[in-house]
Amino acid sequence: MKKVISIEFFGMQRSVTKTDSIYMPVTENMNVTDALEYVRNQYPNLPLDKGMVLITVNQEMVSLDTMLKANDTVLFLPFISGG
Amino acid sequence: MEILQQVKYEPARVVGGYTDRILRVDLSKQKIAIQELPPDFKNKYIGGRGYALKLIWDDTTGKTRYDSSDNILAMASGPLGNEPGFPGTGKFIVGTISPLTDTFVDSNVGGHFGPLLKLAGFDALAVSGISKKEVVILIDGDAGTISIAAAPAYDEEIDNGALSFGQKLLGDVNDGEFSDSAAAVTAGRGASNARFGIVNSLFYDRRRNRIRSKQAGRGGTGTVMRFKKLRGIVVRSSLPKANGNNAIDREGVREAGSQLKEVVSQSDPKQLHLSAWGTTILSEYMDKFHLFPINNYQYGQSPESSQLFARVFFDKYFSKKIPDGCYYGCNLACAKGAENVELTRGPRAGQNVSIDGPEYETVGAVSCLGIFDPHFVMEYNWYCDEYGLDTISTGVTIAFFMECFERGFLTAHDIGYELTFGNIEAAGRLLHEIARGEGFGKVAGQGVARGKKWVAEKYAARHDTSEKAALAELNKFGMEVKGLEFSMYVSKESLAQQGGYGFALKGPQHDEAWLIFIDQVHKELPTFEHKANALKWFPLIRTWFNATGLCKLPWIDVRNPEAANTSEPAKNLPTLAHYVKYLNATTGSDKKLEDVLEDSERLYILQKLVNLRQGKGTRASDQIPLRAMGPAFLNEYESRAEYYDKWLQERLGDGELLPASPEQRHKLLMEKRMQAYQQLCDIVYEKKGFTSEGIPKRETVSKFGLLDKQANQLLDRFGV
Repeated sequence: MKKVISIEFFGMQRSVTKTDSIYMPVTENMNVTDALEYVRNQYPNLPLDKGMVLITVNQEMVSLDTMLKANDTVLFLPFISGG
Repeated sequence: MEILQQVKYEPARVVGGYTDRILRVDLSKQKIAIQELPPDFKNKYIGGRGYALKLIWDDTTGKTRYDSSDNILAMASGPLGNEPGFPGTGKFIVGTISPLTDTFVDSNVGGHFGPLLKLAGFDALAVSGISKKEVVILIDGDAGTISIAAAPAYDEEIDNGALSFGQKLLGDVNDGEFSDSAAAVTAGRGASNARFGIVNSLFYDRRRNRIRSKQAGRGGTGTVMRFKKLRGIVVRSSLPKANGNNAIDREGVREAGSQLKEVVSQSDPKQLHLSAWGTTILSEYMDKFHLFPINNYQYGQSPESSQLFARVFFDKYFSKKIPDGCYYGCNLACAKGAENVELTRGPRAGQNVSIDGPEYETVGAVSCLGIFDPHFVMEYNWYCDEYGLDTISTGVTIAFFMECFERGFLTAHDIGYELTFGNIEAAGRLLHEIARGEGFGKVAGQGVARGKKWVAEKYAARHDTSEKAALAELNKFGMEVKGLEFSMYVSKESLAQQGGYGFALKGPQHDEAWLIFIDQVHKELPTFEHKANALKWFPLIRTWFNATGLCKLPWIDVRNPEAANTSEPAKNLPTLAHYVKYLNATTGSDKKLEDVLEDSERLYILQKLVNLRQGKGTRASDQIPLRAMGPAFLNEYESRAEYYDKWLQERLGDGELLPASPEQRHKLLMEKRMQAYQQLCDIVYEKKGFTSEGIPKRETVSKFGLLDKQANQLLDRFGV
């Protein structure tokens, strides 16, 4: 069975992606940067600039060099600090 | 309108953000007076919350309650309110002794009232006394008159409604026309019948060509207003709003404002996009991270939650392509609204209304009832505003009684009907009963803290248990601290936010600290030390916003990309630099961020002293319900058993086995949570300069020049 990670989209991201989530095939030695590039290629208009979003894997913030494994869930979150 | 009392005055000119005057109105004596402030007053008390606190500290006593004649209802903007060149400058504070907490509460609210009050010549308005008849106050900076007038009587429906009455009143004082030179505050009938009444802030929105409203929602400020028999206040000034503060360095204000507007316009569309979605965008994120307060905060997530996500309100209700700021010049413009929404339930069913909102908190309040119907959210929003009820406290209180019913503490006989989670008819019925002060609404209108005592008494009378034992059970899920109901976030998995709620001086509102994400997701607060530092820093900077007449959202909800290059990105320091620049340019000061924090700390300590005097200032008052710390009951634990077991195993270490039964694991988990909260109290008090009992040390009070005779006596009484 093919190994994948899921990448979920929220709020205004969904108005660009038109979908709640996508799957990305994952192989050994793939990291968060690979997921970021994958999404950028799929959705060039999705704003994922440095400093604008933080990236979580399985709901914990990660750095770009964090390794990915099958069934991980990646989110690109805006900064939420409470009103 | 029948004028009962009137004085003529010459409006003071605003200079550097201040008029140095407070308008005093004593409704018992129908006396109107203008208080000139000494030059150093503004340096010490800043404005907004600071002015309201000082008025309460000086003019009320430990015996003052919300319905005492000496209680003061204060309204104040701040030196930085009223500048269209800078985002978010329409805020003002409504402060008073709360009917819920018996201590000082303030609520910040947007709109035009604060800016216009300043243009009409006053940094603050302080209303004391209790009128013999229903009145309104008219502050007319154009005519140079201040009047107390008999409240006009229109018809029952209008007179009972905060929105309807305010709209009519604003038309009346302006020959039937609406104008952005006049704004009003009102409180509806519901505020007379519940302890969580709100003050509505009404202003004319040229783009929508109607009167809009924002709400000072927390703590029962509207209840105080109604008790004083004060139905409304209108303020008018036609002075230009641009450079209305007569800034000392006008170019500096322009620069700071354009820099912050640039950050907002560049970053918000790539982040939360509040300018399009409003704060309803938060629902989806809260649900994803188990923070949505479903069924009285039992569960943070539901498969039904998507019906309350922003896209639903955006697609079905919000007017689009209208810049929606609550004051001129704010390009974050998050105050969304809807037109021609048909009410399908309640006494006004069949009518079409305009609705300002919903905000996230209102959506969260409906999820708290286990209801996932967006149209009910719209109606709940409108009815609460029209009645003059806080959507948050109303929701948490109804949810508490729903849980009491479902856990067998109350029966259908006690309530009059079956009050269950997700029951729209029952929730709506209780909302209207609260507003009318009828049936079970008379009990529910007292809020959760008093509701707990009522339920405990009933339950103990018919079971073989004591009131004390019943109350101990109710304390597990009665979501209040100091008498105020929680705002709409589940804090179970963030110890830092548990402190954010528990230590909040007014009660568990998140305007002192919202640390859930930086604690729970970012993992930026791994130790008690980190959490305690955040619990000192964030309340201070947030206090400053409430003292200066500013909205926090352009700072806290739009991350400046440059913050990524700083050591503590969550503080968003590059954006705060624009605020400090704006402060200095307006007032002519030369302050740095450290000075701003010190100014705030003075106000924070003063508020702590007020709490101490009113009986809400010690460690005992900072204790939070079990449900705020973790899964209070087994069903909550079982809904995320795998997560909780993992959490527990990490605390026990690999060498120790988890207890065998779910009941034992649940018990151990909660023991660890309670232990952690007490440890947090110890370290936070130390950071704040308090004793282990949460009382400010004498040297802490002295450091900020607050050790007056009253403070000395108070600290003596507590043996400090």
